[in-house]
Amino acid sequence: MTPSAVETPPVVDTVNLVKIYQDGGVPVPAVRGVDLRVAPGEFVAIMGPSGSGKSTLVHMLGGLEARTSGEIWLDGRRADTLGESAWALLRRRKIGFVFQFFNLVANMTVADNVELPALLAGASAREARRRREHLLGELGLADRADAAPSQLAGGEQQRVALARALANEPSLLLADEPTGNLDSRNTRDVLRLLAEVHREGQTVIMVTHDARVASLADRVVSLLDGQIVDDGGAGLVRRRPRGGAGGVVELRG
Amino acid sequence: MSTVRASVRWIRADLRARRGQTLLTVLAVAGIVTALITSATLLEDGTNPWRALFAESRGAHVWIHTGEAPDRVALSRLPGVVGVAGPYRSAPVTLTLNGKKSPVALRETPETPPGIAVPLIRDGRALRTGDADGVIVERSFARALGLRVGGPFPVTALNGATHPLVVVGLADSAEQGFYPEWTPGLAWTLPSVLARVEPALGRSESVTGLRLADGEATLPAVHGAVTLLDGQIQRMSTWREVRASMELDNRLLGLLLALFGVTGLVAAALAIANAVGGRVLTQTRDIATLKSLGYTRGQVFGVLMAEHGALGLIGIAVGLGCGQVAASFVLDGVPLSPLSPVPLLAIAGGTAAVVTVAVALPAWRGGRTPPVPAAPAAPPRGHLSRLARLALLARLPPALVLGSRDAFTRRLPAFLSIFGVAIPMMMITIALGCWSTLDDFLRHPERVGQAAALVVRPAKLPADEAARIARADPDVLVAHPGAEVPALEPEQTRSVLARATGTSAEPYPFSVVEGRMFAARGEAVAGQGLLDLLDVSIGDRVRLTVGGTPLIVHLVGRVVEPDHDGEVLSLGIDSLPAKDAVPPQFYSLVLRPGADPAAVRARLLAASGEALEVQRVVNPAERLAVIRVVIVALIGVLALLGLANLLTAGALGLRDHAFDLAVLKAMGLTPRQVAATLVTGTGLLIVLGVVAGIAAGASVVGGLIDLQGHTSGVGAGIGRTPSALTLTVAALVAVGASLLVTLIPAGRAARAQVPVTAR
Repeated sequence: MTPSAVETPPVVDTVNLVKIYQDGGVPVPAVRGVDLRVAPGEFVAIMGPSGSGKSTLVHMLGGLEARTSGEIWLDGRRADTLGESAWALLRRRKIGFVFQFFNLVANMTVADNVELPALLAGASAREARRRREHLLGELGLADRADAAPSQLAGGEQQRVALARALANEPSLLLADEPTGNLDSRNTRDVLRLLAEVHREGQTVIMVTHDARVASLADRVVSLLDGQIVDDGGAGLVRRRPRGGAGGVVELRG
Repeated sequence: MSTVRASVRWIRADLRARRGQTLLTVLAVAGIVTALITSATLLEDGTNPWRALFAESRGAHVWIHTGEAPDRVALSRLPGVVGVAGPYRSAPVTLTLNGKKSPVALRETPETPPGIAVPLIRDGRALRTGDADGVIVERSFARALGLRVGGPFPVTALNGATHPLVVVGLADSAEQGFYPEWTPGLAWTLPSVLARVEPALGRSESVTGLRLADGEATLPAVHGAVTLLDGQIQRMSTWREVRASMELDNRLLGLLLALFGVTGLVAAALAIANAVGGRVLTQTRDIATLKSLGYTRGQVFGVLMAEHGALGLIGIAVGLGCGQVAASFVLDGVPLSPLSPVPLLAIAGGTAAVVTVAVALPAWRGGRTPPVPAAPAAPPRGHLSRLARLALLARLPPALVLGSRDAFTRRLPAFLSIFGVAIPMMMITIALGCWSTLDDFLRHPERVGQAAALVVRPAKLPADEAARIARADPDVLVAHPGAEVPALEPEQTRSVLARATGTSAEPYPFSVVEGRMFAARGEAVAGQGLLDLLDVSIGDRVRLTVGGTPLIVHLVGRVVEPDHDGEVLSLGIDSLPAKDAVPPQFYSLVLRPGADPAAVRARLLAASGEALEVQRVVNPAERLAVIRVVIVALIGVLALLGLANLLTAGALGLRDHAFDLAVLKAMGLTPRQVAATLVTGTGLLIVLGVVAGIAAGASVVGGLIDLQGHTSGVGAGIGRTPSALTLTVAALVAVGASLLVTLIPAGRAARAQVPVTAR
């Protein structure tokens, strides 16, 4: 049986996902029963006011935080039961993260920052350098490879972070307020890059509280008090990008 | 495996970012290992040439000096005896070289090398039949006198006749200690030559060596010999004394280094744990990023262990190398056999284990860093500490109030920082205590029983004439008549020194630290070594044998005794039988305060027409001069440790308060005030650590040195606490230097744009 688009499992599938923090013995629910299904190649924006649980949700999808109850399925495999180390291994191969504060390793050069995930996933030094040169070239940062992150402007740092997140061709790119710390010009640049990688088939989940930023996505999921209040554009997923599913299958293989 | 390449990149980048701290860690560990290796080398017998000499020469375990030659066959039948060396005739002669007279024991030795206790020829050749005037000289004696193969060896026998002998060879021997610690010097010659130099049998003694099956069991053989030779024994020595005399100074130094090494290791562990812990805290965000990229908890732990552990290992490797160099430097040319593998491995392994544990705890904490990079790592927010409230009440400047608040925001690291400064400071105080004890030795030799600066031996003059010349010198305060005789202890297994100086009525100013000075005939004082050896205490009566006659003395006090491991009995010359005391062998001259011993010596020599023999008394502190070099080096290493802790404390303070800086500036503090806030936060910890360390050091140093004095036989009562001035200066220097070091990053942080500040 050849895999077809219809049979390809969703990249992300959560069932009644719940996260409850304990704050001095008082339970504080952050995510309350979220069912979210993201198909390969989709660009989903998660919107909501501060404290609505959108960052927590994304962190849980990447295994940075443990869920309290519910299920998380990634690429058709159950992930919520994984231990911390298994999550880490999964992140290496399948998940790329972009954070609001860029989180580049300050001591390492731009080149090292981008090569780190590839090396971590077992690529040879030469292969890692090839990928890094390719990515930095794509993102217009080829000449900044040897600079320290602190020498870069915010927008440049975020582009490096994006390059790092894409280094292992992950099946899922998680972006937590990627433009939250940028001015409008840099925001525009970063969003344009996100749109480009999405167009090439990358599945993206982006957290934002900026409606203009969210408008770039195929689908906007609104969270309020840890629950999905609006899942607009579920029907919009029409323009299935070329090769998206194939890419995922290839990664899984 | 796949993480190795990534981890190497991370480690390399991190090390590059903190070169100074890296270097400090390596140097500190290397310094500690150097101290430990040097100390182990000094403490081990390897540095003691005795072992090698004894094995190579098939030495005798017991040497018996008798008037007449004992029965060789009877001796060889004693329990445990496997071989007998000698008996050899030995005559006391005087070597006169360049106007200097040295007593020599001229010993006969057969032409064919004996099977036991062979003189080991190191230079020149062995004696041959027909060597009518050839001698072989013991090497340390030859070195001290500058004797060479082929050089003259003119000796004067007791009958006054001079014989122009010639040195044909230099040899090592395990029979006696090195010259000048062990006198007289030793020289071997053929029996025919000895018979020519000293024809009178009555003026020579007979020396016999016993080689035992088991060196540990000397007692049966010794007792057998005493019973057999009943009363003929003049002197007896065992291998233990020879070995001890060869190792004495090294041992003290070794103990000192071991003390510093072990405490230093604790301090280094603390410094490393502090440094790694601080590094983990300042890197929380980077570690979280690594985890979000796919590092597992164990891998983060592994990376931290590899990075910081590797620094420790490099330090250990450097230290192993430096240890060898340092040991040979301290021993100053004494042939050094390398440290045997067991202590070497123990030191390397032990240090590695300590470093591993010190790194593992913070690394484990680092591994548990939550992977959410945004997780706040701010210090626990608290109210103003009591200290800060006090500062506020006292209306101190705002920078001081804020700084004293910041000092304790993280309690555990704050206390670790205090300890990290206090332990090196304590050791520095102890080192200064050793220094001031040495100074005290030099400045007040009378306190260590060396009131006399010169010793005059009558030599060619009658004793009365020598005393008259000595007392005539304007700078000579008192000339105490004295005599030194070997005394056999009650079990007669070994000799101690009975030193009679001064009379009971006018005693030599010994430094009595317990009991009282002898004041009547039959009373005596002793060094700690003698009390321990005979297992007696003050108030006991002791029976010794001097030259065959029993001598019973009443011990009335203990003196500080730097010579012969403290195994010395000091008494008035009138307590000795007349045959040993008249005429006095020497006069101990106590000079006027401020008089120059060299000038007095020159005057006495001139006044007597070079007939007197005048010797300067060697202060034990002069032999221990190398300790000062060691102390300076140790203080350097300890300062490095303190500095490492300081950098950690500073970096942590900066990290914890980086975001506060913006607030402080917004509140209207000038950059200088901001810097002052940061410096106060760290400086408070330093001051507390320095004060605590000095207090702890000053309270234990006297006791520690006295303990060492007690075990080495010198006796308690020599330890000196460094003066208040020294301590104040040390404290000021430590605090001042620390503040200067903190000031640089604080100033930079205060001037920097806030978002740039490291977090």
